[in-house]
Amino acid sequence: MISNKTLRSIVLVAFCLVSVLGTAVFAASDAERVIRPLYILTRPQASSPDEFESATLIANAMKEVGIDARVKVMPWEQMADLVWYERTKWDMTGWQMTARPERLDPDEFTYNLFHSSTAETGYNFVGYINPAYDKVAEQQRVTVDPQKRKELIMKAQQIIADDAVYDFLVHQKIGIVYNNQVFAPDSIKEMAGLGIKNFWTYIYATPVGAQKSMILNSNDTVQAVNPFYISGTVDSWVTELIWDRLMRMGIDGLPKPWAAESVKWIADDQVKVVLRKGMKWHDGKPVTAEDVKFSFEAPMTGEVPMYKPFVSIIDKIDIVNVNTLIFKLKKPWAAFETACLAKINIVPRHIWEPILKDLQQKPENAESYQEKVPVGSGPFKFGSWKFSEEIVLEANKSHFQAPKIEKWICRFIPNMEATLGMIQNGEINFLATYVGDPQLLEQKVKADPKLTMVSSVDLGYRFFAMNLRRPPFNDVAFRRAVLALTDRWLIVDAVWKGFAVPADSVVSPALEFWKNKNLNYPEGGVEEAKKLLKAAGYEWDRKGRLMYPKGKKEELAPAF
Amino acid sequence: MRVNWKFFAKRFGQMLLTLWIIATILFFIFRLMPGNPLVAYIDPTFTQEQQEILMRQFGLDKPLWQQYFVYLGNLLQGEFGDSFFYKDSVVDVVSKVLPNTLYLMLLSLVVAYVIGVLGGIVLAWRRGEKIETVGIVFTLFTRAAPQFWVGMILLAVFSFKLNWFPSGGSSPAGVVYSSELAKLLSPSFWHHLFLPALTLAIYLLGLPLLLMRSSMLDVLGEAYVDMAMMRGLSERRVMFKYAARNAALPVVTAMAVGVGYAVGGNVVVETVFSWPGLGRLLVKAVSASDYPLSQGAFILIAAVMVFMNFVADILYSLLDPRVSLDGRG
Repeated sequence: MISNKTLRSIVLVAFCLVSVLGTAVFAASDAERVIRPLYILTRPQASSPDEFESATLIANAMKEVGIDARVKVMPWEQMADLVWYERTKWDMTGWQMTARPERLDPDEFTYNLFHSSTAETGYNFVGYINPAYDKVAEQQRVTVDPQKRKELIMKAQQIIADDAVYDFLVHQKIGIVYNNQVFAPDSIKEMAGLGIKNFWTYIYATPVGAQKSMILNSNDTVQAVNPFYISGTVDSWVTELIWDRLMRMGIDGLPKPWAAESVKWIADDQVKVVLRKGMKWHDGKPVTAEDVKFSFEAPMTGEVPMYKPFVSIIDKIDIVNVNTLIFKLKKPWAAFETACLAKINIVPRHIWEPILKDLQQKPENAESYQEKVPVGSGPFKFGSWKFSEEIVLEANKSHFQAPKIEKWICRFIPNMEATLGMIQNGEINFLATYVGDPQLLEQKVKADPKLTMVSSVDLGYRFFAMNLRRPPFNDVAFRRAVLALTDRWLIVDAVWKGFAVPADSVVSPALEFWKNKNLNYPEGGVEEAKKLLKAAGYEWDRKGRLMYPKGKKEELAPAF
Repeated sequence: MRVNWKFFAKRFGQMLLTLWIIATILFFIFRLMPGNPLVAYIDPTFTQEQQEILMRQFGLDKPLWQQYFVYLGNLLQGEFGDSFFYKDSVVDVVSKVLPNTLYLMLLSLVVAYVIGVLGGIVLAWRRGEKIETVGIVFTLFTRAAPQFWVGMILLAVFSFKLNWFPSGGSSPAGVVYSSELAKLLSPSFWHHLFLPALTLAIYLLGLPLLLMRSSMLDVLGEAYVDMAMMRGLSERRVMFKYAARNAALPVVTAMAVGVGYAVGGNVVVETVFSWPGLGRLLVKAVSASDYPLSQGAFILIAAVMVFMNFVADILYSLLDPRVSLDGRG
């Protein structure tokens, strides 16, 4: 017989054991639920102070809700390699999209960045998969009617905000400075989303004094001057000026006929183009419809891989008469004018046909071919190119839109501080590139009456991308909390010193027509973030560390 | 002097071996470094097909060992390949900027060594005097001052304040020289070269000066110098003809190696003065993972340096007969 006393002891010991074990089990499952340290990738402070400081601010805000967020610094080349080619191995990364004329149409940002088809190897490196979004992105592509398309673009912006795909930061204000004693101020043209550094300024800029050339700066050099190679930034400024295109992006951000006298949609998938009469190549030969057809067909071959995506929609091109062509598309494409007609350089067939034929026998393609003297039909002719130093273009006085300046000279100046001195002492008269402190630039301009600064909201934007393939970023509630924690106004003031506006979508406020101004975008700081997390079942352990909702545990090791 | 051919052959073999090791290290180091040449092309319109085409074009689709042997084979034929980004042969790309680098580096080297050697002689001769203290402090200052800082100060004063010199490049905007000779004969080229060369010379000055000074101090203790003084020869004659000539030995070696280093350019000075030289190109090539360009340029630099070391050895033996070429002296 067991005595009562013994029984009581056994029960007591059993109870103690159960409670100790229970606590241990509970504690273990708690520890497993704590979210691992999350790493925010950024470029170094020295090369990208804004990105680094924003990352620090976001990490600090995340810490306030119990997330062990850490800033991880990497050079751009290493970071891009990791983000792009090792898509499951990072948590969050700083990123940016830059302004380019063809991005004035929202298609590229709407489709290529978020469509599920680009998730595996394309630009949807965050891994966003949403069939409902895919449908909207596809529809806007084929909706030629602007009003109907606008509704779709608005809807796409709202879905991206609702799903908190990107943690948007800002659209930068681009401050470009020119010498008002060299150029008449009303001849400097501001373009929506691109500022005054644009094609139209180069065409219309009118010298008022003895200096007849525009001397501008870039911190990058020219890699190649080739109408079939998309390479560096300056290369694209140069090709835009030497080679004509059927259309050009106008000052209002919409495509306008250029080398084409008219561009008419004769069906949803057919465009009739009438070529301007009397155009000549820089070598004196006339520009013909054959040249135009050749220019659009060349990228369809394997010899011009970079331009291929822009012409792959074309089914065939018919020449109706000497100056009329009809483009037949495989299916309607709303951005056709912007992304194709205003993008493809028109090249002389008599020069490039033999070159391409010759290249077919070789491993190289058209991208590696450098003409000694590039020949286009554009408003500027190739002048000279001093490697690593400068490129000079000369005005084509017989062009239908001949520039007012005599030469366009781009100097490659890696020393940003020196460019400030150069614009002041007249060594350059158009400060096209400036990546230094915007406040300092503003002060210099204010102190010098011959300088004028035009500040415009950029088409491009900065953001932090979250890896949707990796928990907890696969949970929309968690992502919305991160967005709420990102104080974009603080970033505008503290990081950008006011030279930026907060961003909430891929469409810049500079594009009034396409911008969804009534976006419902997560915000509200720490309190709101905590509310969102709590509602989604997230909890905090005794040390205040954020844990996954019950039933989930951390399965990933820290990224670094 | 008897020419020792066996010694030459041996040194030549060693040179080739060194270059092969360097070429091998270069090949692997750039490929093991984080980064990827395709990164430069990342764009919303960048397709899988384009990525594959580029990999094939760059020859990066083959296994590493295969790439290595292709590379070695090409090197043996003097073929460095084409730059990934400039789409031009490495030799052509490098030769576009190499002359500028040589003008800048050699000019500053010559200026630094002439002033440095003379300064070193004077400071050693005037040992213990005030001029020595001032001279040494000044030299240490020039050696310790960061080049970008000296460059920016020179720019701020002589270019932006006084407007005496242009602030960047090797020629005025829009000016093209018809040939390399025309460039060298043009005053505006020298006008552009002045500030960067001065910046570099200020930095380079310290080594020959201090080296010459300490070497002179050794020599000045030798009996033959006292002997020369006792013979009543002039101070200048003893200083230059007897002492300096013997003290110059380590400086000559240092200069030969300095010329070797010069080929690599100087990225800091080139960046501050926007000088179109090899240093800037190299930094860009390495950061963009332009393997052929980085490899080719570094092999070229290594070859010149190895060769200049060889030259230094020979010069040494010519200047000091006690040092024999076969190393038994």
